[in-house]
Amino acid sequence: MSLSMSLYLPIAGASVNCLAIFGLGGVVGLLSGIFGVGGGFLMTPLLIMMGIPPTVAAASDSNQIVGASTSGTLAHFRQGNVDIKMGLLLLVGGIVGGSLGVQIIAVLRRMGNADFLISITYVLMLGFVGGYMFLESLQAMRKSSDAAGRSESPRGESLYARMMRTMPLQLDFKRSGIRLSVMMPFLLGMLVGVLAAIMGVGGGFIMVPVMVYLLRMPMHVVVGTSLFQILFTCMNVTVMQAAQNHTVDFILALLLLLGSAIGAQLGAKVGKKLGGEHLKILLASLVLVVMVKMLYDLLARPDILLTYAGGH
Amino acid sequence: MRPTVSVFFKRLALTALLAAVPCLAAAGPANTLNVTPASIVMDAQYSGVDLTVTGSVPTGADVLVRVTGTPGELHLREKGKVFGLLWMNVGKVTLSNVPSVCLIAASRPLAQLGPVAASFRLDALTKAIGVEQQGGDQSVDIPHELLLLKSREGLYREGAEGISLGPEQGGMQPFTARVGMPSSLKPGTYQVEAIALRDNAVVGSTSATITAALAGFPKWLSELAYQKSALYGVMATVIAIVSGLAIGLVFQSKGAH
Repeated sequence: MSLSMSLYLPIAGASVNCLAIFGLGGVVGLLSGIFGVGGGFLMTPLLIMMGIPPTVAAASDSNQIVGASTSGTLAHFRQGNVDIKMGLLLLVGGIVGGSLGVQIIAVLRRMGNADFLISITYVLMLGFVGGYMFLESLQAMRKSSDAAGRSESPRGESLYARMMRTMPLQLDFKRSGIRLSVMMPFLLGMLVGVLAAIMGVGGGFIMVPVMVYLLRMPMHVVVGTSLFQILFTCMNVTVMQAAQNHTVDFILALLLLLGSAIGAQLGAKVGKKLGGEHLKILLASLVLVVMVKMLYDLLARPDILLTYAGGH
Repeated sequence: MRPTVSVFFKRLALTALLAAVPCLAAAGPANTLNVTPASIVMDAQYSGVDLTVTGSVPTGADVLVRVTGTPGELHLREKGKVFGLLWMNVGKVTLSNVPSVCLIAASRPLAQLGPVAASFRLDALTKAIGVEQQGGDQSVDIPHELLLLKSREGLYREGAEGISLGPEQGGMQPFTARVGMPSSLKPGTYQVEAIALRDNAVVGSTSATITAALAGFPKWLSELAYQKSALYGVMATVIAIVSGLAIGLVFQSKGAH
């Protein structure tokens, strides 16, 4: 018999090609290492396309992200790019928000229009985040190229900056080089937690812009800190999914992980070579592509009018 | 010793009886069905398997071989248009009497086999399915959509391939059918039927059952995941962290110079 690369996965209930899964992990891991996103919003749809049931795809992906973000966090930590204090505050907020989000979804499901709201939230969030980042970094890139010497006229402090400065419980975040109230990361972490729970994703692609624009952290620290925070979120999801829904295929996750951990290491190096603005514009484009795909799925008539329950 | 021996003989008798069932079900003379492999082993290397079904039919008859899974209930979501614009899940559908798998092969294009053959085809199968719609569009042909869904997954299939008929011997003709079982098969019992058709009439039929069961590593993993699920979740997390750290360290030593 010839050497076969196929492997039977009992939890997913399907046979997969090891190389294909490994390669998929590598590509998504590369993106994850560059941008500090878990990559769940890319990996899960691709796994479904390869014949893995949606619920198993999402849960096994969380398991994979645990490994990938461990590897990514380690790489960024060595480069001094993880703000642990900030990460922990965001995490605590994220957990509180996540629990709240799960309750919100339960209420919406009882009202019967959860699916509609989930889809709309997805498209709006992706469109808003992607569009804003894209325009903002495009502007910043133009500014830095054609106005090297000219400094911006000092305008008055914005309302947002004043609010940040005057909030109680101010604390120094040395790694990020900023000083702000403890309340800010907690509340913003909570907001991302709510949205992530509603959308059923890790929330990396919302968390990154929040850290860049609302917490005003430097891009490279954002990526490392985001991975650090994602690591804990996905650990929680993996254990919960395995215990309650039996949807974690740990062999599938391990295969993806081998690819993605290597990809994430390379990604961290590539990310360092690219400028912060380039990183932002690339992530923005990626988010917009996913948004267009989701919008297309919402507008085009599906081939088959039945789907399996579960997932969203 | 005596009770053990008697239990042994009882089991032997039962086994013999069970083995004889397919023969009893046969309509024609010397009409038995042989299926290899008799049981499907779903181990780590499993990626679907070709079943070889052999038997004999009266000379001049066509053969239709059908492999079906145990019928069961299926819960699905129905997609529909919201606000005349967006496609999303709009209703729940409960289907009953749905075979998990239905693979049909025939020795001649199915349309040429006449109306009698139609009763063994996928379309006939969908007529037996019970549909209960909750919300959604009542005008949607749900069984037809189910057929599309299952066909795309490779779990439902029909076609005129994989059957060869041998030379005639005393009014009977041997046949060999090759049926590809999909890799997304669920463990369980499957029924294999062979139907002989001639001049738009059934001239013989016979059936056998085969089982598909997890084995080796997949069996161990599946038992762990379902029976000790919390431990399994923690284990999956710990292994992921350790692997991530290990890969990170490998890269550190490589990048150190």
